[in-house]
Amino acid sequence: MPLVDPVTMSSTTIAKAAASKAQATSSKAASSSSPPTYALLHPVQIRQTPLAQAARHALPAALAGLFAVRFRALVADPVSTMSTTLPLTAALQVAYAVLCLPVAGSQGGGGGAAKGARKQHKARPGEGGGGGGGGGGLGLKKRSAEGAGPSAVVTALLSLLLALLVTPFLHAAMVLFGAPFLTHGAHTLLCAAHLAVLALFPLFYVHGVDGPAWAAVGGFGAPLDETFGGLVGGVVGAWLGAVPIPLDWDRDWQRWPVTILCGLYGGYVLGRVLGGTLVWGKRF
Amino acid sequence: MPPPQPPPNQKASPPPDYKTIASQFAAAKRTKEAEDNKTKKKNKAQASSVAVHNPVEPQPQLQQEQQKAIITAREQRRARLEAARKRAYQSRWAWTASFWVWLLCVHVVGIAYFTSGFLLTRLVLEEKSACDAPPYESGSESSSQSSLLPAWEGRGTVDGGCWHPRTFKRAVVVVIDALRYDFTVPVEDDAPFHNAFPFLWETAVREPGRAFLRPFIADPPTSTLQRLKGLTTGTLPTFVDVGSSFSGTAVEEDNLLMQLRDAGRRIVHLGDDTWEALFPGYFEENLSRAYDSFNVWDLHTVDNGVIEHIFPLMDRKSEWDVLVGHCLGVDHAGHRYGPDHPEMTKKLRQMDGFIRDLAATMDDETVLVVMGDHGMDSKGDHGGESDDEVEAALWMYSPKGIFGRTKPEYVTPSATAKTRPVNQIDLVPTLALLMGIPIPFNNLGRPIEEAFAGAAGSSWANLAAAERVAAAGIKRYQTAYFTARGIEDSAGPGSPGELWDKAEALVSQGKGQDWPAIFTAFAAYQEATLQKCKSLWARFDLKNMVIGISVMALGVIVLLVYGSRGDDDDVIEDEELDLAEKSLELQGVKTDVEAAPSATLDKRLVGAALLGFLPGFIGGVISSFVSGAGDWYRGSGIAALTSTAAVLVSMYEVHETVLKIIPRTLWGWMAVVFTVSQSVGFASNSYTIWEDSILLFFITTFGFASALAALRIPSRADRYLAIYHSVVFVLLGRLASFSKLCREEQMPYCTSTYYASATSSTSAPWQLLIPFLVCIVLPSILKAYLEPSRSYEGLAPTWIGYVFRTGLLMSALYWLLDAADNGNWIPGLPDKTLKNISVYTAQMVLGLALVAGTTAFIWAPPCVSIVTSASPTDPTKAQVAILGYGNAHGARYLLLPLNLVAACVLLSKPMGGGALGLMAWQILALVEMLDLNNLPATCSPIGPVMLALLGSFYFFKTGHQAALSSIQWDAAFIPLFTIRYPYSPLVVALNTFAGQILAAAAVPLLVLWKASPRKRGLLDAVSRRALAGFVVYFAVECLATMAWAGYLRRHLMLYRVFSPRFMTAAVVLLVVDLVGILVALAGVRCNTVAIGEVFGWAE
Repeated sequence: MPLVDPVTMSSTTIAKAAASKAQATSSKAASSSSPPTYALLHPVQIRQTPLAQAARHALPAALAGLFAVRFRALVADPVSTMSTTLPLTAALQVAYAVLCLPVAGSQGGGGGAAKGARKQHKARPGEGGGGGGGGGGLGLKKRSAEGAGPSAVVTALLSLLLALLVTPFLHAAMVLFGAPFLTHGAHTLLCAAHLAVLALFPLFYVHGVDGPAWAAVGGFGAPLDETFGGLVGGVVGAWLGAVPIPLDWDRDWQRWPVTILCGLYGGYVLGRVLGGTLVWGKRF
Repeated sequence: MPPPQPPPNQKASPPPDYKTIASQFAAAKRTKEAEDNKTKKKNKAQASSVAVHNPVEPQPQLQQEQQKAIITAREQRRARLEAARKRAYQSRWAWTASFWVWLLCVHVVGIAYFTSGFLLTRLVLEEKSACDAPPYESGSESSSQSSLLPAWEGRGTVDGGCWHPRTFKRAVVVVIDALRYDFTVPVEDDAPFHNAFPFLWETAVREPGRAFLRPFIADPPTSTLQRLKGLTTGTLPTFVDVGSSFSGTAVEEDNLLMQLRDAGRRIVHLGDDTWEALFPGYFEENLSRAYDSFNVWDLHTVDNGVIEHIFPLMDRKSEWDVLVGHCLGVDHAGHRYGPDHPEMTKKLRQMDGFIRDLAATMDDETVLVVMGDHGMDSKGDHGGESDDEVEAALWMYSPKGIFGRTKPEYVTPSATAKTRPVNQIDLVPTLALLMGIPIPFNNLGRPIEEAFAGAAGSSWANLAAAERVAAAGIKRYQTAYFTARGIEDSAGPGSPGELWDKAEALVSQGKGQDWPAIFTAFAAYQEATLQKCKSLWARFDLKNMVIGISVMALGVIVLLVYGSRGDDDDVIEDEELDLAEKSLELQGVKTDVEAAPSATLDKRLVGAALLGFLPGFIGGVISSFVSGAGDWYRGSGIAALTSTAAVLVSMYEVHETVLKIIPRTLWGWMAVVFTVSQSVGFASNSYTIWEDSILLFFITTFGFASALAALRIPSRADRYLAIYHSVVFVLLGRLASFSKLCREEQMPYCTSTYYASATSSTSAPWQLLIPFLVCIVLPSILKAYLEPSRSYEGLAPTWIGYVFRTGLLMSALYWLLDAADNGNWIPGLPDKTLKNISVYTAQMVLGLALVAGTTAFIWAPPCVSIVTSASPTDPTKAQVAILGYGNAHGARYLLLPLNLVAACVLLSKPMGGGALGLMAWQILALVEMLDLNNLPATCSPIGPVMLALLGSFYFFKTGHQAALSSIQWDAAFIPLFTIRYPYSPLVVALNTFAGQILAAAAVPLLVLWKASPRKRGLLDAVSRRALAGFVVYFAVECLATMAWAGYLRRHLMLYRVFSPRFMTAAVVLLVVDLVGILVALAGVRCNTVAIGEVFGWAE
């Protein structure tokens, strides 16, 4: 014997169904229009100054060169090599940010005319971030957005600090992927630091701690540009870097985390270059 | 009775498809809405999980009678419709199940075919040779019933020589692992591995009576373990030596060491610990020293250990009779550096000095044998069957001076291994006859001529006698083997039988015989027999392998197409539409339920399968008879091929083509990458060995991707919930990964945690706490996952909160009792007390989980409860709310996998029980993640594939590896005192494949979780989306391991890595198929029936 009479039950289900349908359509509408921040997040443009244009090509090459030069030492002694290379990498990244990237809150960055034209509808991400984060750092960045010069350096240093603060979480993520838990702590931490400085630092520099922008980046909703392309390339490269580790070739370069770092640098440089050129502005 | 109100537009649109009903209903609804608008009330807070029922407003008295009549009529009609729906559902279910049974048959045929061509088996005979029963006495027709030699003193005793006069009292056997023949002979070049070990060659040339050196050909596989088996039993290795038990690696066949031990000889072993594994308990404990054989980086420990301990023993010859020394340095130098390296020179020079010193300590009673068990290839590795790998060296030495050459030119050892080689199995009869013990029963070798030819090389009678007694042993073994196997021994010219008769005829000619001719005749017999056995045991049947792979591949394609998502098969999810259809039916618009499609695709496919099967089977049988091959079973292989082909054609006719299997979303591609990359990885032994880490990597990848994708969820609460579940999912996976049982090949990069230590198979005391933790935590977790959908109702609180928890508690107690029993924690208890209590506890748990659990699942009402409350808008009216409505299917189905969890937790070791608890939690997190990320099994294969990955992952986390040695046979004794069929194999299967079985049982959850009773097409979704996607993963793995094992059949890791992985994949596929039919599909049927009884049939 059924507990509920289906006939009468039906009338209530209409109500419920109508409600759920309404909800569904509204949520669908929301989902199509919900990421207003996504839609407004524009791909980062490299400054138009000759120096910036030269640096955008020279610096990835320098990064790749740095890694190639340090590779032997890295295989021989990963920890000390990674720790000595990290400041160099960071310096290259800071130079890249200061020279090429628009500082957080100023979005348009670079050249005068383009910046002026875009400024009107570009303001929002920064403001949204201000509402979400409200941190002193961001305020500072906003204020200094127009100025470039020293304030860009300050932003860069703050972003570097943020990237290093995120490093322990990246370390934890690597452990979750199967990195050694109790041993090789320094190896993993330094590897995570390289990942943060390479892939996350530029994003901190251009987005600050703007929550919706980061949600767009994390949810693969951001448009591809040098910063986001670098992140995707670096992460995918590091992920693929794990592939050769199990092979029984007994090579020194199979040591943790040489292959990860290899994939990270390769993927990052490739992702950054492609993101700034071929696939610029595209979305997933 | 005519319908009371004529429904709008009741055209007889023959198959009333959803869209026309939708428009009809829209019109009806508009008018209806106007009149009874106020009867609709919403309860927004409970909208997702609770259905609200408002009674219709009271009608005027006048209409009531009429109304009542209408209701009665409707009631009857409704009952009829329900019954028809139920019948239709059941027939649909039967067709679906038939399809899966057919698929199971296809998998069985494919696997059986491949296996018959690939896994060569040899029957291990139990018989042992006995000293007082020489083989020629049982050979009845033979004219001379005794040895060719005149009777000797002590004949028939070990001291005098059982079958042949004894020559030596003691033997020192030194195995120099990977001693290739060319290392020991002069070669004119400067290679580091040449001319560094000249002692053997020098002595053979300088003192031919005291020493000889010959090439020593190994039978592949050239791995040390298989070689030692061959060197002691005298038989050829195959992958599966079917003996009385699979457990352990110990040699069970008759062998040299067994004969020596049975004759009371004291055996000492020094070096490679493989000997200890093969011959446990054979060696004098206080004199023997075993060293780890696996650390190839260490060149010296083993060698130095052997050298250090062997010389003191030479001064105490009275304390032992046989000494086995096994040096690994040369082999390790090869593995680590390759032969072309100064370290190899050093190692060979060290061996040269060692043997030089050792030879100096020999006396007349002792024979010294130095040999390589295999060679090495140019990179220093071995395992395969290339010339360099099989060509080892054999050197025998004794100061007694009894070795001879039948021709003077034989004094100088051959320059290469291509001339005058001996087989490694020949050492077995040689040593046996020299030491006076019987030749092991299974021996196929022949005596080495130098050892019996006499110092002058002219003792032909002795040589012929030795040859004959060995040949007679072979004959006896062959007869026994063919009888046991039921094979006819072939006759005819050139056959072993004919050669034997010829040789015996020569013997029976009487005295004054032609000894060299007799010797040659028996040697020819041995040669022919060996060839025959090699062809029996060592040839892959490529044709069968290809048929097997083809059947599997077609099966995978069928499954992919079956499970692919069509464009037009969206089940329209619209409750209003359902409702409209229902009321139309009730009003008699829809004539009968038969119009509803019953068993569409499955029925068609099963028909096609049968149609394709018959001609294939008949054709196969006829062709095999016509060709005279007699292998009528080939019919089944061809039948499977034609049957799958017919199904594919049938699918093509309904537009289910291969093109549809290409994924269209990133998630779909992720599923493909996970499955395919793993399958490709099975081509590499490294990726096969590290499969557990790779699975963790994939699982974590999915978890992170899901957390990132959750950022796109519009609703803030859902977003955080999805991120939370993703994080939990990842953390649980990593936590479970700490439960490890490493396989040998993972050393030294892996630490086992599954047991108390690497050398024990019992749990550490702290591990006993894990099952208690599971008992406390897991039911609460389940409750926490059911409560958000208000589904912790009905039977759930009782079953999960009390019964399930009791089962887990008793499992925990079982393991406590077991540990107490093993550790003898309570001294003074009568024998077996604890064992008795624990076994009965285990039986109760299994009874509770499997018998009571199944019964409860079948009869349980849905996990919902009905509450009546005042309507929020009109307090005078009652409102009925159904708690748990939104997850009615999922919550009830969950009880079924839980029963299996309880059984498997008991049958796994404490660590494994903990892992399975984590698995149950992770599965729930997975279904929540899929639900929140809007990735139902109906539109993305990622859910089923992730579930399959979890199943494989927990196979490793419950203390298993893809190796025969990791099977926990002792699990059979958890609920039983002795082996009992069929329970013991079932228990071992539940222990071994707990992960995959649980995953397979949880497959319907992917569809049923958060499915309300009104949801349609559940069976179709479970079968075609969830189960198909899940089984595809395992079928692809099976196909890949099969193809790789077949392709790499000459690979040196074949027997260690590829074959066991293929066997695991094959068994897992069949287990998953079976569980899919018997648990998942049957469970869905029970569940739907139970829900349908209460809420009416949605399908």
